[in-house]
Amino acid sequence: MNDPAPASPKTPCGGNCSCSGGSTNASPPPGDDGSTRRAVLKGLGATLGVAAYAKALAPLTELTKETSMDEFLQKHYKELSKDEIATVITRLTQEAKEQYGADVTISDPKPQEGVKFGYALNLSICNGCRKCAEACHLENNHDRPSHQSYIRVFEMTKGSMDFEKGNVHYDHPVPQPDKYYMPVQCQQCEHPPCVDVCPVEATWKEKDGIVVVDYNWCIGCRYCEAACPYHARRFNWQKPQIPAPEINPDQSYLSNRIRPQGVMEKCTFCLHRTRNGRLPACLEACPTGARVFGDLNDPASEVRYVLENKRVFVLKEELGLKPQFFYFFDE
Amino acid sequence: MSDPAVIPVPATPVPEWRQYLRFAWNAFSQSVEGGWKFYVWMTLLTAVFLVGANAWAVQVRDGMALTAMSDHVSWGLYIANFTFLVGLAAGGVMMVIPAYLYHDEKMHDIVIIGELLAIAAIIMSIMFVVCDLGRPYRFWHMMPGLGKFNFPVSMLTWDVIVLNGYFAINVYICGYLLYKRFRAQPPVAKMYLPAVFLSIVWAISIHTVTAFLYCGLGGRPFWNTALLAPRFLASAFVSGPAFIIVAIQIIRWQTGRMFGEGAIRTLVSIVRITILISLLMVVSEIFVEFYTGGSHTGAAKYLYFGLHGYHELVPWIWTSIVFTVVAVILFMQPRINRRPLLLNTACLLAFVGLWIEKGMGMIIPAFIPSTLHEIVEYRPSLTEWKITAGIWALGFMIYTLLLKITINIHSRKLKDASGARTITPEDSLAMGDGGV
Amino acid sequence: MSRLLKQHPSLAWIALVGFATLCSLAVVWAQKNLGAAESAPVMKSRPKAEKHLVAIKPGPPTPRLDTGLKDAQGRAITAACSTCHSTTTPNTMRNTAHDLFQAHRGLSYAHGNLTCLSCHNAKDYDALHLADGRSVAFPDVMTLCAQCHGTAMRDYLHGSHGGMNGHWDLSKGPRVRNNCVNCHDPHHPEFPLVRPVLPPRDRISVPNVPAEH
Repeated sequence: MNDPAPASPKTPCGGNCSCSGGSTNASPPPGDDGSTRRAVLKGLGATLGVAAYAKALAPLTELTKETSMDEFLQKHYKELSKDEIATVITRLTQEAKEQYGADVTISDPKPQEGVKFGYALNLSICNGCRKCAEACHLENNHDRPSHQSYIRVFEMTKGSMDFEKGNVHYDHPVPQPDKYYMPVQCQQCEHPPCVDVCPVEATWKEKDGIVVVDYNWCIGCRYCEAACPYHARRFNWQKPQIPAPEINPDQSYLSNRIRPQGVMEKCTFCLHRTRNGRLPACLEACPTGARVFGDLNDPASEVRYVLENKRVFVLKEELGLKPQFFYFFDE
Repeated sequence: MSDPAVIPVPATPVPEWRQYLRFAWNAFSQSVEGGWKFYVWMTLLTAVFLVGANAWAVQVRDGMALTAMSDHVSWGLYIANFTFLVGLAAGGVMMVIPAYLYHDEKMHDIVIIGELLAIAAIIMSIMFVVCDLGRPYRFWHMMPGLGKFNFPVSMLTWDVIVLNGYFAINVYICGYLLYKRFRAQPPVAKMYLPAVFLSIVWAISIHTVTAFLYCGLGGRPFWNTALLAPRFLASAFVSGPAFIIVAIQIIRWQTGRMFGEGAIRTLVSIVRITILISLLMVVSEIFVEFYTGGSHTGAAKYLYFGLHGYHELVPWIWTSIVFTVVAVILFMQPRINRRPLLLNTACLLAFVGLWIEKGMGMIIPAFIPSTLHEIVEYRPSLTEWKITAGIWALGFMIYTLLLKITINIHSRKLKDASGARTITPEDSLAMGDGGV
Repeated sequence: MSRLLKQHPSLAWIALVGFATLCSLAVVWAQKNLGAAESAPVMKSRPKAEKHLVAIKPGPPTPRLDTGLKDAQGRAITAACSTCHSTTTPNTMRNTAHDLFQAHRGLSYAHGNLTCLSCHNAKDYDALHLADGRSVAFPDVMTLCAQCHGTAMRDYLHGSHGGMNGHWDLSKGPRVRNNCVNCHDPHHPEFPLVRPVLPPRDRISVPNVPAEH
């Protein structure tokens, strides 16, 4: 700015404004009535202001009921020692009891040495009954009102692989003669873009190929949800609502324990089951046997048989993310 | 006339940094004093801000379900505003380029107005990101050393670095220049010029990195274009100058002093070019989308014309297009420099048009249709509007205070207990009525 | 430009540092996408102690006809198929569902061009028979199915056809597999239409069913 313009700003404002009140006309000695009144007004304003701020932000204090100091200070999963994990799990078990009234067991199974999970799905067989989505919903302690599930089943038009012609909201007897059905869940990519974009390393790929989330480390920025080309990630828009009797008590830290509000979650191939040798819940629920699960490193495994003998493709191969979830057709 | 405000220079020199801190404190505490217009303005902004703060507190408590976002449209109004404000911050520095690189002397005086705008805009953009977090109190997870910082792979960590860096650079430059001005000392080129040049490069980097945040995602074809970063920059160099043109006039009107006439002319000629480039890039995108066709065009179809009977965004984008085109026409008028009404209308139209284009028109359509071509629409909820308004109010508060500090210093009104500068009673009075 | 650089040497430094950063980043990013791609997943075999078994659910037991009568304890009185069929002559002309009468009335039948006696054993109605005439007990029905459905049987044996429960890792626990007729009705092997469950909702707690497109 230029130097102060002469004269004009120094003229008094003419009295039609209440600004510096009476002090405009004469320079009052400090501490007279005017400035005292001003100080009082200022103090009052400040007090009111602070009160208003406190009132506005009051809802934040109610958070402390569900967010303990231990939760706030908890370290990243990979940096927790065995004892610390045990402490965390004890706390989480108590929280499940306090907040949901459920007695749960939270384990922390590690990847099996030399195992790399793969999943294949037979599109010739799938009849679109959504039993897999329901099994996922129940197994993984999903929010009940939102029908949340890691699996979305698309009713696709025969002769087209275009999801644009697909529909997930179908509500008629299946299978329809001119349709085929395509369940989509996390593809457990070899190069997961969701892991790349996470600013805090709250999600990563484990040795057995499963992309997991540390629900206690995620800040909820949803960048991974924007990065995932398979719509595999879900956000906990609110605290999951599940009636106590419906809670699956067989839980693990990295998979199906009840998630906190405001964090990401995703399909983990039911690692609390599969790392203990069991089949994923969606596979067991499939009434048509369209799903094949197994160890990609084992040449005798069922999934390897599919890869070597069937017409296999992966979704959006051109993105170069190398999914570990395969679709196939019978000849 | 007795003059109690005159304080003699202390015998022992106070260390420079303590003088600076004292200066900063005085600058702040005196900036919150002003005329009744000032208090009304600030009270109004505070009220809006409090509404937003309350909405945010409730959102943190009850969850993001209060927003209209969903697993399909996982980013909404907050990230839209964030993107726009990063642009505004970058655009604020556009005045530095003519001033320092091309020695445009008439720009020197108002450079600081742009840099202060950058400071306010960065604060706002960071607040929008914080409001978008599901677990904001876990922010410490992102701090290098304390938490885990996924650098250099995650573009979001880049954004954190460049935004904070840009903030620091601008605070430094403004602080230094104002302090020197206040001490009536000429600024030392070595002390601030490297920072000024850095801030130019950095201004480009913040918006480029913000564009990379989106265009690096292979699963979102609407964003996955190399044109995104240039487009962001071009539009930033419209919205920044447009805002400053209006800001200069408001300051003139409030302080009753004429300045920055040449600067406005320079800014108008900048906007004339950048708004055309920006429009050209939009046209080029539209051509590629619609001429190529295919399913990757779904988002553009949805945005401009609606898709399968869904057209929530169509009114938004056409408002933006009309505003921008009218602004272009107005800016091209040779007489715009002499017609403040015309100029301000053009600036306002360009500003709002680009706010829509870069927010609702750039962030939202990437999610509709979703990556699996589902269409779930998005209309911001009341909570989102409240929080957005609150952050904008806070931004205006910050910018008002920063401008007041600057005006106080430039018109030599700032009192300083260290006695480095004394003030006259007339100055003290003038400050009372000035009331920005 | 050179004048500019002479006046402001810091510009050159900024440019240099920026360029160097960009180069190193390009390397980092390229590795993220390409480096990992080269190291294809190692397919190494894992010695497994397959301690547990894969059990195939047996087919249904030999069917018996419910006579509709109750015995003294209130249990249904059933009769073996052979009770009637031993006294009647097999009629090879009755091949469609509406030809059937008495106990078989209302049977839904759609299984290619097969006739009743393609599978049912005319010599012993309490068993089935293979194409070569050998008798097969009802619980062993899969052997019969496999005669025609060779590819399905091959896939079944490799685990890529048919539902299952239990463990993928047989060193950890057993697996139970479905029999052909657990899922397929032998008289009408095609899957019936079913109502899908759990329709998805797009917004939290807000049921939302957009029009189908």
